[in-house]
Amino acid sequence: MKNQVSSLIKKVSNLTNGDGAIASQEPFSWWGASPEKARKAMVNKPKGLIDKRTTIKDAVDKYVKDGINIAIGGFVNTRPPVALVHEIIRHGAKDLTLSFQSNSICPELLAGAMMLYPDHLSIKRVELAWWGYEVIGIAPLFRYLCANGKIQLDDYTNYGMSARFKAAAMGIEFLPVRDHGGADMELVNRGVMVESPFSGKNCYLVPACYPDLGLLNVTAADMHGNCRIFGAHCTCPEIAMAAVNTIVTTEQIITNENIRTYPNLTEIPYTAVDAVIEQRYASYPGACYGFYWFDMEHILMFRSASDEFRKTGKMDALKKYYDEYIFGCETFDDFLGKLPYKTLKKIKDLDGGQPVILA
Amino acid sequence: MAEYTPFEMIAYTGSRVLEDNTIVFVGTGLPIIASIHAQLTHAPGLGIIFEAGPLSPILEMGMPLSVGDTRACRKACYLKGLSSVFELTQRGHSDYAFIGGAQIDMYGNVNSTFEGGTYTRAQTRFPGSGGAGAMAANCEKSIIIMALEPRRFVNKLDFLTSIGFGDGSEEYREKAGVMGSGPYRVITNEALFGFDEKTRRMVLLEVAKGRTAEDIQKKVSFELLISPDLKEMAEPTEKDLKLLREECDPDGYFLARKLK
Repeated sequence: MKNQVSSLIKKVSNLTNGDGAIASQEPFSWWGASPEKARKAMVNKPKGLIDKRTTIKDAVDKYVKDGINIAIGGFVNTRPPVALVHEIIRHGAKDLTLSFQSNSICPELLAGAMMLYPDHLSIKRVELAWWGYEVIGIAPLFRYLCANGKIQLDDYTNYGMSARFKAAAMGIEFLPVRDHGGADMELVNRGVMVESPFSGKNCYLVPACYPDLGLLNVTAADMHGNCRIFGAHCTCPEIAMAAVNTIVTTEQIITNENIRTYPNLTEIPYTAVDAVIEQRYASYPGACYGFYWFDMEHILMFRSASDEFRKTGKMDALKKYYDEYIFGCETFDDFLGKLPYKTLKKIKDLDGGQPVILA
Repeated sequence: MAEYTPFEMIAYTGSRVLEDNTIVFVGTGLPIIASIHAQLTHAPGLGIIFEAGPLSPILEMGMPLSVGDTRACRKACYLKGLSSVFELTQRGHSDYAFIGGAQIDMYGNVNSTFEGGTYTRAQTRFPGSGGAGAMAANCEKSIIIMALEPRRFVNKLDFLTSIGFGDGSEEYREKAGVMGSGPYRVITNEALFGFDEKTRRMVLLEVAKGRTAEDIQKKVSFELLISPDLKEMAEPTEKDLKLLREECDPDGYFLARKLK
């Protein structure tokens, strides 16, 4: 690459030639769509205000294929698209690339499915900044996958991943950022340090990430896919605009008239959305601002089954979880139907009635 | 004198370091508690950034359990997403990054990616950079919480996740393309550290009551600089402890933990 330079990281790094990290091994290629392919797909979509409501099963059947790059919305335990991930696990898909900034239950659920049924679902590589449960603890399956060299990583900061989705949302190839430089991050992700053509100073560029499919759960949407997000936006608008196709679950469908009354509240325009499904509690056991808080007990239950597998190799508890809550359900409502009313009431109360504008 | 735990001492010291009328970008746990304590005492004008999106919320629903907790958005002044808050740091809006980690070296570089093995076969993989690498790069000053043990205060990191002063050379951060001025304080329950302006090496500024500089050096793998003006760490009063236990972390998620 022209003008490629370096920070002084190699003076302090403990890594030898990137330690086999993917960034140091392969020439750059798009893990997902290229900017041209993503643009062409958008140009070729019908742009009418059509009714995009469907079922989670039909949307996943239509868009989930082997080898695609799936971007996961939300941030850690906030608005993870759990209902969509359950369906992807039932559906199955091999050699997936996952892309997200920080997430917890969604990649862990996919990783657990890969441990149990590797011929049905597998993750090949992950573009990420962070994978864990925060206050609840580390992500046992992520730790297991890394210790055993079972996935390839492209490792950024939270801003790096956000800027990558943002670059794709802008239709460009990369964005300059002020982080990663001077850290080993520079050696284990596919960004590059270049000399600024203006000041001549060192400047780190992260490549855009154009996922094949974006998965989001949003506060409210109309049937055309115009979305409102209350609470933190995380990187959801960028992901929706970056992905070739985007499936949106929403806690509540609102009218287009309502959307048009407050157009400034629309964070994602209908042109960026391909499928809309009204699904209550679509982020459970994660949280959705204005509707419910996260359910620590349920996350702990799944996490302890994962941790048992990591520590002992025993899959019984993990298999029981998937049999009961995912493969034993046809729909996400079936899953919710297995939860005690008291649980749903508790997490609704714990949200504390955060203010959202639905009317 | 009041009895307190190591975590309460860290939270109290973190609070002391934060100045009024500044903005702190926090990581999960003790940085949040320290910031709430500071707001309730000497720094009512302290604004907090949480990386999922909010700037300067009013944490009236209790301590957010994580930086993505929906409670962290309560009554914020500005609330978008990750891009917006990290772009604020690049532009100079955030005075402090307040992070933790698994290892630190004498130049304030921090590891939160893995320990042992290699990058592609990590013995113990941690969640990863998350926001920490970006915060340490672009908030103006970094404050780092670390347990005071030789295996954490190391000569060489297994992986450099969050930039400090690199190899200590004057141009290191500029060549890295980052905007912040770098490491400012390192907080443990037994000692408070800063950084020497000329050499950019870690300096022992304060020690806990009853400890000496030699005691602290034994718990650090690299050679510490000792401030000629070495002070004793201030201890939390009964009032501080009441605030920490009853207002900041009433359910004891972080303060009631046992030190490993």
